[in-house]
Amino acid sequence: MQDYNDPFREARAKCPVLAAQHQGETIPMILRLKDVRKAAKDYTTFSSDAPRRVPIPSEEDVRTVRQYPLEVDPPVHAEYRKLVEPFFLRPKQPEVLAKIHSLIERLLTEACAADEIDIVKDFAIPLQSHALTYLLNVDEKEAELWISWGIHVFKDGDGKSKGPFMEKYSQQMFEAAEVNPGEDFFSALNQAEFQGRKLTMEEKLGYANIAFAGGRDTIIHTATRILKYFAENPKALECIREHPEMLNTACEEFFRLFIPLTHIGRVCPVKTDVHGHEVEAGDRVSLCWSSANRDPEVFEAPNEVRLDRKPNPHIAFGFGIHNCLGQHHARAIMRGIVQKLSESVASIEVTDQTELIEHEEDYSRKVGYEMLRAKFNAR
Amino acid sequence: MPKITFIQQNGEKVVVEDAVGTLMEIATDNDVEGITGDCGGVCSCSTCHVYVTHDWQDRIGSADEIEMDTLDFNEHKKPNSRLCCQIELTDELDGLIVEVAPEE
Ligand code: HEM
Ligand code: FES
Repeated sequence: MQDYNDPFREARAKCPVLAAQHQGETIPMILRLKDVRKAAKDYTTFSSDAPRRVPIPSEEDVRTVRQYPLEVDPPVHAEYRKLVEPFFLRPKQPEVLAKIHSLIERLLTEACAADEIDIVKDFAIPLQSHALTYLLNVDEKEAELWISWGIHVFKDGDGKSKGPFMEKYSQQMFEAAEVNPGEDFFSALNQAEFQGRKLTMEEKLGYANIAFAGGRDTIIHTATRILKYFAENPKALECIREHPEMLNTACEEFFRLFIPLTHIGRVCPVKTDVHGHEVEAGDRVSLCWSSANRDPEVFEAPNEVRLDRKPNPHIAFGFGIHNCLGQHHARAIMRGIVQKLSESVASIEVTDQTELIEHEEDYSRKVGYEMLRAKFNAR
Repeated sequence: MPKITFIQQNGEKVVVEDAVGTLMEIATDNDVEGITGDCGGVCSCSTCHVYVTHDWQDRIGSADEIEMDTLDFNEHKKPNSRLCCQIELTDELDGLIVEVAPEE
């Protein structure tokens, strides 16, 4: 059984927080499951009302807008969230799910037909981009442009952020939808009423920003790591083929272990004692989902993949107020991948890879792959 | 085979005869409002929160620690709260009535 390395194992056993350096800022990272859950619910002590500073590292250099509903607190949070929720529930509709499934089938067929593919570039990125058109209910042709944005819109490839380009593109989409309204995300936000008024362009861009950026590297890395897992564990694929009831538990286990998002920030509005660490007013703490998901107090053999793990009270999609709006989409995609893979692929052989590691002063954590070349053998 | 009654937040009842599986699976298969079972039953999402009616509490038992912790900090948590994906149906549960908890 393969073990997946946990960079927070020692720190978490010693202390509930790790005061870690991030780009010159000391951020206490809350490491244990119960503590992270508690902090995620306590928005007065740990606030999200911090434009461009909820993600770690902060995104002040790569975007101009506040992300909605991520970067607001209750009570307005619920009002902001309600406006886009119907789009994020679309993957639960049978016809949207069917589109996701046929997209996965097409990409797997292409993968099997090719000598070799780069799973990141030829599978995960096109999958994420096309699937997002179904979520936002826009023309599938838009995906071609999104594909060119790479793994992470804000920090990809040549090191240049595509953030400004993405904001300009989103603005054009809102303007075009104004002239030619439809049933899509952009038109819906143009027409939305918030507290008796229309949304401002800044707010609309903030919604688009997280839809494009937040749902991107997360999906790409999770999908890639699932395929890597099955390349290394062909018997697991067979097991799922024989026990399709394991699809759900297997995917929840992948979300728990392969969570690409190490952590997310909150701001303390007043001076706060965080498990013995003093945080000054206006400074940040981190809710470390990836560490909480390995808490040995809760998860037996936390670094092992157990495809039938149940219960599996992971918090890969956060907890409470801001729990991930994209989780239905993520689940539909990952369950679709595992199902279609088990039906149509016999084995995957990895031929080359470049891991993507998040390096910080106090820890290094694998988040995914920049490149993962592989051969797919059809059943 | 057990017969199960869900009382939705709107007061309407959904009665399921010959139920098999977990309570969450039965609820989602029968479109019980307020139970979506997002995580598929691994005790992670708490979108399957119910209250067990008084008469049934002894027979159903209370939540274990993991389940309790998932419900922790839930504003609608009560002493008779359960995540119904953790309740496997047996013949002894024939006649069970549960109330769907409000969404968080
Ligand atoms: C495996 C994939 C994903 C993971 C692990 C993930 C993880 C998370 C986490 C941990 C949060 C909580 C943030 C907080 O508490 O501050 C969150 C929120 C959010 N996610 Fe995801 N996410 C994923 C996919 C997606 C996708 C595909 C989308 C959009 C298409 C998306 C959109 C959002 C949005 C809009 C929020 C903010 C919700 C709110 O503030 O109410 N996510 N996500
Ligand atoms: S279905 Fe997710 S906790 Fe019960």
